[in-house]
Amino acid sequence: MADSGATQPKPSSSVKLVLLGEAAVGKSSLVMRFVNNDFQENKEPTIGAAFLTQKCTLPSRTIKFEIWDTAGQERFASLAPMYYRNAQAALVVYDITKSSSLTKAQHWVAELQRQASPGIVIALVGNKADLANPEGESGEGGGEVEEDVDGVVAGNEEEGEEGSGDARKVPTKTAKAYADEEGLLFFETSAKTGMNVADVFTAIANAIPETSLKGPRGVGGQSSLREGQGDARVNLGRATAEGPKEGCAC
Amino acid sequence: MFNFSNLVQKAQQLIIEPTLSVAGPTSDRRPSKATLFRHQFRLPDSQSPLQEITAELTLSPHHSQRSASGEVGSPEKERTQGNHYVGKLHLSEQFLCFSTHGSSFISTASLSSSSSFTGQTHGAGPAGNGFTLPLCAIRRVERLHSQSYMFALAITTWNGSADGKRKNVAPSGQKLTIQLAGSRIQCERFCDGLKKGLRAGVKEIENLRSVVSECYSEYLLAEDEEKSEGGEQGKTAREHPDTGLGLVFKYPGNARKLRDATKIRLWREYLRENGRNATLIRQPTFHKLIRVGLPNRLRGEIWELTSGSFFLRLQNPKLYTETLARFSGRESLAIDEIEKDLNRSLPEYPGFQSEEGIGRLRRVLTAYSWTNEEVGYCQAMNIVVAALLIYMSESQAFFLLSVLCDRLLPGYYSTTMYGTLLDQKVFESLVEKTMPILWDHLQKHDVQLSVVSLPWFLSLYINSMPLIFAFRVLDVFFLEGPKVLFQIGLAILRINGEELLDATDDGTFISVLKSYFARLDESAHPKSENPKLRAVTRFQELMVVAFKEFAGITQNTISEQRAKHKDAVLANIENFTKRTSIRNLGPESKRLSPNDLGFLYDRFYAILYERQQRAEIMQQEADRKVKAAKAKAMEVMTGMGGNAVEKGRVGLGPSPTQMDYDGFREFLAGIAKWAVTDSPTSPPEASGEKAGHSYFGNSMRSRPPMSPWGTGPEPADHEFMRRLFRRWDTDMTNSLNLQNVVTGFAQVKGTKDIMSNISYFFELYDDDGDGRVDREGILRISEALLFLSRRGMGEYSPSHSTVDLQQGGSPERHSNRDEQFLSSISAFIRRCFEYADPDHPSNQHQPLSDTVENPDDNFAIGTDDEDDLIDLKSEPTTPVPQKPSSPKDHIKHPLSPIPSNTDPLSSTSTPTSPDPNLPARTEKAKAANKALDPNKPLYITLPTFRMVILADEILEQFFELGFSSSFRLADAPLPSSASSSSNLTTFANAGNKSATTGLGIGGSVGGANAGIVPPGKGLRGMLDNIVSDGMRVAAEVRRRMEEAQREMDREARHGREEEDEEDEGASGAKDADLLEGAETEDVEVERGSAPDLLGVGEGSGMGAGVEARRNRSASDASRKVVEFER
Ligand SMILES: Nc1nc2c(ncn2[C@@H]2O[C@H](COP(=O)(O)OP(=O)(O)OP(=O)(O)O)[C@@H](O)[C@H]2O)c(=O)[nH]1
Ligand SMILES: [Mg+2]
Repeated sequence: MADSGATQPKPSSSVKLVLLGEAAVGKSSLVMRFVNNDFQENKEPTIGAAFLTQKCTLPSRTIKFEIWDTAGQERFASLAPMYYRNAQAALVVYDITKSSSLTKAQHWVAELQRQASPGIVIALVGNKADLANPEGESGEGGGEVEEDVDGVVAGNEEEGEEGSGDARKVPTKTAKAYADEEGLLFFETSAKTGMNVADVFTAIANAIPETSLKGPRGVGGQSSLREGQGDARVNLGRATAEGPKEGCAC
Repeated sequence: MFNFSNLVQKAQQLIIEPTLSVAGPTSDRRPSKATLFRHQFRLPDSQSPLQEITAELTLSPHHSQRSASGEVGSPEKERTQGNHYVGKLHLSEQFLCFSTHGSSFISTASLSSSSSFTGQTHGAGPAGNGFTLPLCAIRRVERLHSQSYMFALAITTWNGSADGKRKNVAPSGQKLTIQLAGSRIQCERFCDGLKKGLRAGVKEIENLRSVVSECYSEYLLAEDEEKSEGGEQGKTAREHPDTGLGLVFKYPGNARKLRDATKIRLWREYLRENGRNATLIRQPTFHKLIRVGLPNRLRGEIWELTSGSFFLRLQNPKLYTETLARFSGRESLAIDEIEKDLNRSLPEYPGFQSEEGIGRLRRVLTAYSWTNEEVGYCQAMNIVVAALLIYMSESQAFFLLSVLCDRLLPGYYSTTMYGTLLDQKVFESLVEKTMPILWDHLQKHDVQLSVVSLPWFLSLYINSMPLIFAFRVLDVFFLEGPKVLFQIGLAILRINGEELLDATDDGTFISVLKSYFARLDESAHPKSENPKLRAVTRFQELMVVAFKEFAGITQNTISEQRAKHKDAVLANIENFTKRTSIRNLGPESKRLSPNDLGFLYDRFYAILYERQQRAEIMQQEADRKVKAAKAKAMEVMTGMGGNAVEKGRVGLGPSPTQMDYDGFREFLAGIAKWAVTDSPTSPPEASGEKAGHSYFGNSMRSRPPMSPWGTGPEPADHEFMRRLFRRWDTDMTNSLNLQNVVTGFAQVKGTKDIMSNISYFFELYDDDGDGRVDREGILRISEALLFLSRRGMGEYSPSHSTVDLQQGGSPERHSNRDEQFLSSISAFIRRCFEYADPDHPSNQHQPLSDTVENPDDNFAIGTDDEDDLIDLKSEPTTPVPQKPSSPKDHIKHPLSPIPSNTDPLSSTSTPTSPDPNLPARTEKAKAANKALDPNKPLYITLPTFRMVILADEILEQFFELGFSSSFRLADAPLPSSASSSSNLTTFANAGNKSATTGLGIGGSVGGANAGIVPPGKGLRGMLDNIVSDGMRVAAEVRRRMEEAQREMDREARHGREEEDEEDEGASGAKDADLLEGAETEDVEVERGSAPDLLGVGEGSGMGAGVEARRNRSASDASRKVVEFER
């Protein structure tokens, strides 16, 4: 979705999206990958939250994501309501190499389901998939993991992980089952390799009901007809080089 | 700068004013003198103002150079040269401080005018001209003889020679002349104090040496001093002190553009003339030099001095290394969190891409996390500390971090970050006040300001502005205090106001500011004709706007605003925390209603909180004076309430999460009648005001409770409670967390299934989990049943059985359900023994596979006992026992006894009715129950237990409903409670007294160690006879119950009041007036420690009579609430 290519105007709308998840699971990295198609090994922890935007072009319309990337440390949790207020979509991220992060993700899902705007689209994202053994259960990169061969393989997956140098601690099956139960979108991604990153956002864009897209500000916010702002990458923290090198691949 | 020649006149003016009576009634809402004093001079909390006197400080203009040329003349003569400052000289335990600015604690200073008394720092930092001199840095004090002044002191410091490297003091020798202006007595008192302090200070000179030797200023000045001393010594190569990573990895920014060399030169001059590090004197240039930005190598040292962390380091120079050594190798959550962020701290600074830099960062953060485990580690601290480490050594950064977390940024990094959230509210309200148009705009477009400003405050702009500018902000921040963060923030918005008014969503808003930060180094007026104006950078403009336009934002402004918003912020956090933790309680918790969960949550933490408060207050009693002053002081400076008093409140950060057994007792006493003791240690008071629930209501207690149980009912201590506690303590920590408690309740209350209730109870008494409860256990169970029912159970006894019972009852027996219960328990014991399985030695090791595998097969065990089932139906009222199938027939239906019980008419149920067949039956029982012979071990199994329970309608009811509904949570009690209300009124008086002597039920059953009541005395003794005359025992027990009842009836009036409270689930309040003697003190403590923001008037506590005091404190309480909501 090259923004330059948007010559014939499509209906465009804004979607407020919030990222939640334990510290250092790679939320900021996912956003960085999505917005700048870039990856930095040492990202500063997010303080409070960072705000970025990125467009996603679907066949029928353009979605402008207003992304709130929040801080993951436990004690920042009480700030979260400030950020997920009015959000139409949420990415709840965990780290497939850390089981505790899935628990935390589940807490977030529960929080969102009860406290966020009704009808919020939630995607559960297992990040750092690059650290899993490629022969492992979701070697091909997870994606929207179907109940297929992968799932079967996962059955006898848990043992021998250590031995094979696989850092995976959360079997795809476990997370997928949970996501299904709660009706969440589910992906395994790698911000490092870029695997599945754009897919997550596209899937969310597609999952947002047409009716809830009212204008550039979407449901929650006020309508603003500011267009052509381009993709501003605004980090609340340090000023960094901005501007996407590439659009999102969706 | 003041330069009065007529000092005496001025001094008299000052003295005449009643300036020194500080703790006057009107100053209540303002900082205590001690706090202001500490904050003004940035002293450690251990310091208090001991002496204070008006004085004039004389500094010879260039004492290092010019005064060296000639001998010091008469003081008179010296006085006429140089600068003279009139101000106040203060003496604390370890410091001599001077400031030209008075403090805002002067009682005549109003809040609005106080800034004029305290200068730029408004009492929150070293203001005005003067010094903060550690007494150990004073080398000599001479009393000068002077004509016109009574007292003049010449002070020689260790300036420049504290490290002992050079014996010759001359070049840097620093001499201050101070004239004291006061009565002779005042002056003498001051001098005496000073003498004492100086003597004590000698001990610290070693500390001073080591601390000073790490100061760059020593190095800087040594160079030219050695030069001036000539060749011989000049070559002593000094080691360059550690001035941070910048020394190795370069300091950020272009040194030339920052005019670093010029700045160093200016500072060198300043330090040469005005003393360095410990002996630094602040003159106007000092403030100016800081405003223009500190030079790289001196930055760390000046930060240390202005923030006061230098004085902390001076007190305990080795704390940093000792802490590291002490905890080396230990693990903690904080360390894990730190480790995660080490690579993520100012990663673009080369120093933090190296092991060296990362190692320093790790050590400082880790050491701090150990010294303040409550804070531990919070993201953003890594960024702040990384920034500090560019300019200072690890040890310096460590102490500066302490000052930041404890004093400058209170609550910012706590586990709930309430300080951060609070200051966001404060900031928003300041924006609203100072920029109403912008504020309205933001409101209109739903732009949340704190989303932008939060990181500014949390990481001190370090992460928002380019580093070099952030450091300039820090320079001023450390000198002038937290209000600087607000001033800068407001200035940013003011400068970008127009553009921000165009922004209609968060995104635009943020990008406007972001691009502003990116261009801070550009000209603020690029198009101006005036080259001077063109040279002004946007950053300079920012500083000007911040400190000129927003000069009105003072520390007092901030404190007031904090006090105003504190409650709402804390309540928000607490709601969030509650919501989250209730949600995360796990699947078990789903068996309880959301209301009940909320109730348990509140109750649980309220108990922990109140217990902690009580402990705290009792502690405070011990060192009342010190503590009280501190708590009060803390509150006013930070606007956040003295930690001492508020500690434990969930919103404030880490609070206790574990409940010990005593806490559990208190917890139960608040929700179950039976858990209230029958024999309170302190007599209950019938009337008097009851302290409200102080936790969520947030009103301070009108007086501290002196009972160890606070205002609630004193809990009982019964073996049953211990068992429950142990059972719930699934993690074996000897304490319960909320999870444990909720799970515990879910098991007790969350099920309506009588069978699982029965087995739950059974398991409570099956200590070794082998499926058997022995004789001892049976007795204990019956004791527990009596204990639980002694105030009436209410819900378990259907009315028809009463009717039924009374039909057969004798006239003298107007039995109520409680009596029935008693009889049922008697019957229970008897039956247990009747149906118990003898524990034959051969049986003892027999695996219980039968029971385990066929839990339903009631009678599979003990098949060789003839008597076990035979008497199942031989209830007293059922004269003709219905012979059940013999054990060998293996009754197929485990619940076969039930059918007979489901019909109350056929089922007989209670042994209380006089039994015509009693003698025969007793005989029979006696014969059958050889089992009672203690030499014959016996046990019951769960099926037996179940059977026995189900055989008795009342017990059945108890297990069906009674037990679980004896706990009153949030949800309305079961409907049946209405019908049983009569029951409640007769037996439910939660009177705190009952028959406590002799064999009284309360004494024996509810008494502390029911298990060790000697036989023959307690219930146990009666049980020995139970077989021969069960009825008699029951009657006896009942008689005593009735006695107790009568006694309780007498107290019914108070009792009922308490009952009402319990019913509401609030902590039943008992009056804290009990201890009249201690009350006066309590009030004192309260007054001292209660945050002033509550608006407690300084009352006339001492003289008033007890009654008067009580009334007053009641009205105080209400007044507090009012004030608080203002
Ligand atoms: N191998 C691998 N590492 C990753 C991936 N995504 C992020 N990381 C690393 O994980 C660390 C944390 O990444 P961040 O993006 O800062 O994590 P975050 O969730 O934003 O963390 P907070 O802001 O503290 O909540 C960084 O060191 C990243 O380099 C990934 O897909 N694969
Ligand atoms: Mg992040």
